[in-house]
Amino acid sequence: MDAKTQKYDRQLRLWGSGGQQALESAHILLINASAVGCEILKNLVLPGIGQFTVIDQGAVTQSDIGSNFFLDADSLGKSRAERATELLGELNEDVSGHWVAKDILSALTENPSFLSQFSTVIATDITRQVAEKVSSLCWNNQQAIPFVWVKTVGLLGTARVALPEHVIVETHPDNVADIRIDTPFPELSNYAKSFDFNTQDTLEFGHIPYVAILLKYMDEWKQEHDGKIPGTYAEKNQLKANIRSGMRSGDDENFDEAINSVLRSCQPTVVPSTVKAIFSDPKCETLTAESSNFWILARAVRDFVNDHGKSGGLLPLSGTIPDMKAQTDSYVTLQSIYKTKAKQDVQEVSKLVDTVLESLGLAPGSIASEEIETFCKYSAFLKVIRYRSLEDEYTQPKTKQIASWLSEEDSVFAQYVLLRASDSFFDDHGRYPGEGDDWEEDVDHLHANVATLLQSWGIDTEVISKDQTHEICRFGRGAIHNIASFMGGVVSQEVIKLITHQYIPMDNTFIFDGARSVSAVFAV
Amino acid sequence: MVDTQAITDNERWAGVYKLLDRNSLIHPEFEPQEEIKEFIQSCKILVIGAGGLGCEILKNLALSGFCDIHVIDMDTIDVSNLNRQFLFRRADVGKPKAVTAAAFINKRVQGVTVTPHYCKIQDKDEDFYSEFALVICGLDSIEARRWMNATLVGMRDEDNPDSLKPLIDGGTEGFKGQARVILPGITSCYECSMDMLSKPTGFPLCTIANTPRLPEHCIEWAHILEWPNVHGERKMDTDDPKDIQWLYETALARAKQYNIQGVTYSLTQGVVKNIIPAIAATNAIIAASCCNEALKIATTCAKNLNNYMMYSGNDSVYTYTFEHQRKDDCPVCSTSATKLDFKSDKTLEELMDYLKEKPDVQLKKPSFALGGKPLYMQAPKQLEEAMRPNLQKPLGELFSSGDELTITDSTLPFSLQVIVTFI
Repeated sequence: MDAKTQKYDRQLRLWGSGGQQALESAHILLINASAVGCEILKNLVLPGIGQFTVIDQGAVTQSDIGSNFFLDADSLGKSRAERATELLGELNEDVSGHWVAKDILSALTENPSFLSQFSTVIATDITRQVAEKVSSLCWNNQQAIPFVWVKTVGLLGTARVALPEHVIVETHPDNVADIRIDTPFPELSNYAKSFDFNTQDTLEFGHIPYVAILLKYMDEWKQEHDGKIPGTYAEKNQLKANIRSGMRSGDDENFDEAINSVLRSCQPTVVPSTVKAIFSDPKCETLTAESSNFWILARAVRDFVNDHGKSGGLLPLSGTIPDMKAQTDSYVTLQSIYKTKAKQDVQEVSKLVDTVLESLGLAPGSIASEEIETFCKYSAFLKVIRYRSLEDEYTQPKTKQIASWLSEEDSVFAQYVLLRASDSFFDDHGRYPGEGDDWEEDVDHLHANVATLLQSWGIDTEVISKDQTHEICRFGRGAIHNIASFMGGVVSQEVIKLITHQYIPMDNTFIFDGARSVSAVFAV
Repeated sequence: MVDTQAITDNERWAGVYKLLDRNSLIHPEFEPQEEIKEFIQSCKILVIGAGGLGCEILKNLALSGFCDIHVIDMDTIDVSNLNRQFLFRRADVGKPKAVTAAAFINKRVQGVTVTPHYCKIQDKDEDFYSEFALVICGLDSIEARRWMNATLVGMRDEDNPDSLKPLIDGGTEGFKGQARVILPGITSCYECSMDMLSKPTGFPLCTIANTPRLPEHCIEWAHILEWPNVHGERKMDTDDPKDIQWLYETALARAKQYNIQGVTYSLTQGVVKNIIPAIAATNAIIAASCCNEALKIATTCAKNLNNYMMYSGNDSVYTYTFEHQRKDDCPVCSTSATKLDFKSDKTLEELMDYLKEKPDVQLKKPSFALGGKPLYMQAPKQLEEAMRPNLQKPLGELFSSGDELTITDSTLPFSLQVIVTFI
């Protein structure tokens, strides 16, 4: 095993070499070498992102070294961007770090396409105005750039992700087994029928795979019930009882496995509604030469599903089956029956992919067979996330949803309101609430900002108490390392999901209340 | 050269001090006092483990203002640690984790002293543990957690407030983790929640020997059955790449024989070493959560977690906070005996196997006694040999229904009182 594989072994088991390659091709921009910003980068540098850039015009202060592990006593007075980049760079020799000792707005003025070189932008310690500007540039970039805005205020932490669209094939669902007891394909039925349920050999009987057992009893059921599978709870229990009656001894594990699979097997194999929604999405309906592979593949699979002769109206077979009590050769044969059918489905889909590519004036075969295979395998779990922009969040608030969130007891959403109000406070006063020694004097002002915000949403201003407002002023926008580190973990993980296109990112605002040790995600 | 006198605590810890200097209407019971700041600086905190969680915990505590931190870890640094245990560099591979971690923190953060202990937690006694105000665990084994939990719970004396050592425990696996606060004798303890643990995956021996189907079966065959055949007395060293290579090749040959796909070097390693995927992000989240609780407990600046927070990150970001209830018959933190129904014709060995498997008991090598009289002892050797016949005796011959057995296990510093009722 080479040195890099050894080092990354524990993470490769989560996202594989494909995910790792995506990380190593990434270039992350961190705006401001704040405590939380550096903690985020720590968790991205360690797993080996390709490059990072820190942009920060500030010099290192004492409160910086008290909350930021990547600024030390020797750094005092020096460039924050430079020192943080150096100390972060030490974490992983495979990663390249760069720094720019400038303010982000100046950098953008000098070079309006400054952001285009980055694959992700993480912003910390910025005002709402800057956030809106930067997120808009990221959103409208030729290739949209995921934007993450992170804040820590005392014991609170929050992160907001914004990008037009994120697609995921490798969602890593808990169970990819696709057994099709309700709609067995011919090769499967035939093989299942080949098992001798009358055999006197106890070893042989005890090793009949549960799939064959289920198919036999399901087949008998269908014959007695007009071709239908059990629908009601009572019917499913009856099927279980039927199977149980076929047991010869209390120890027949294979029959137990069959009984335990009845409920799941009676759920008809269908195209899930989430996938149907993807199929009817305009981006699947109307393809162009610029369409991403995801949409081209979605269209091909849709065409496959719609061709009932080829697909039976179902998604491509995943080809995965669980382990079960069985002799080696029966299991291996059964497994290869599923794998062969899955391969056939992939071949059909591949032909359709080429048809679509040609219709777009693109070269057939230009999507790698592995990619088509993976797409088919996980087709039941595809996910498309469309985020709301910051602009929509501010100009078109989801007032009904917000009222609902705030109506919950001990709502975490209250913190969102308080942090938004703090931004308004900044607009009014040029500083954040509670930053100075006369912190309690800010309470009334901040509470007025809260009231204005709630009123603008048509919500009763009583939902947020003055005690809660007082607490924000108490925090005084202090940087507390534990909270920075917590958010560092959450945000880095979300960025990894966005870069690797594996696992499911949150949509779109995460709030951690470190005082109560609770968190929540809101799609604002 | 920076004038270190110029670094003032008030500026350095500005964020934390805002919490400590200012009153709260949400937590009206909190009273800002200078003594709290002094307490953080002077109290001793113990960190168990200097690995994925431990490195994060040490950093977090140092940057919370704690000045006197001790850390215990019996391991040395491995290359596969470097993707998340950020206090270590390639040049440190082979060195003790505790020592290396302590040196890094001491150098990076002004004014903190981290004292390393390169040893097992079991090598320290109650006198050692009683010096600390708080214990934070970043362990990777159930056994170690149980030991630490039982030790701290056992130390607690209701009449002596100083004997209460809050235990904050964190654990992670891939994208999942949990953080919990245990106040010995007050909240549920680690032992109370043993039944929450998922059963470790193992494969039946008959499958491994006769009907392999998965690549894992072939690997376990090479590991459990073929190795002793070929290597006799020599035990496998799962850290030796040569041994893993042998396992991989042997497993692969068997897989080929049975037409089974999927045996890889990585899978082989994963199966025999029981490798758990790990990344920096999850460790950061759980460690930060633990240290956030530590700061709240040490300062009362806000209410601490009561008492369990679970976290899951593979689908969105999800935490679930709840109060885990104490178990009435918890062998560690309660005084009542556990009740068990068992058939009187079953043997002592069958009872022993049952207790080894039972999720909320999970003993390794239990010894049994009835009122001071031993029924079966794992040690010393002569006693074990003399008592071995008892293992095959039916329970009905050894004691009566309703008798209370005392069960001990070398891995645990507590005894299990079990009342067995014959059914």
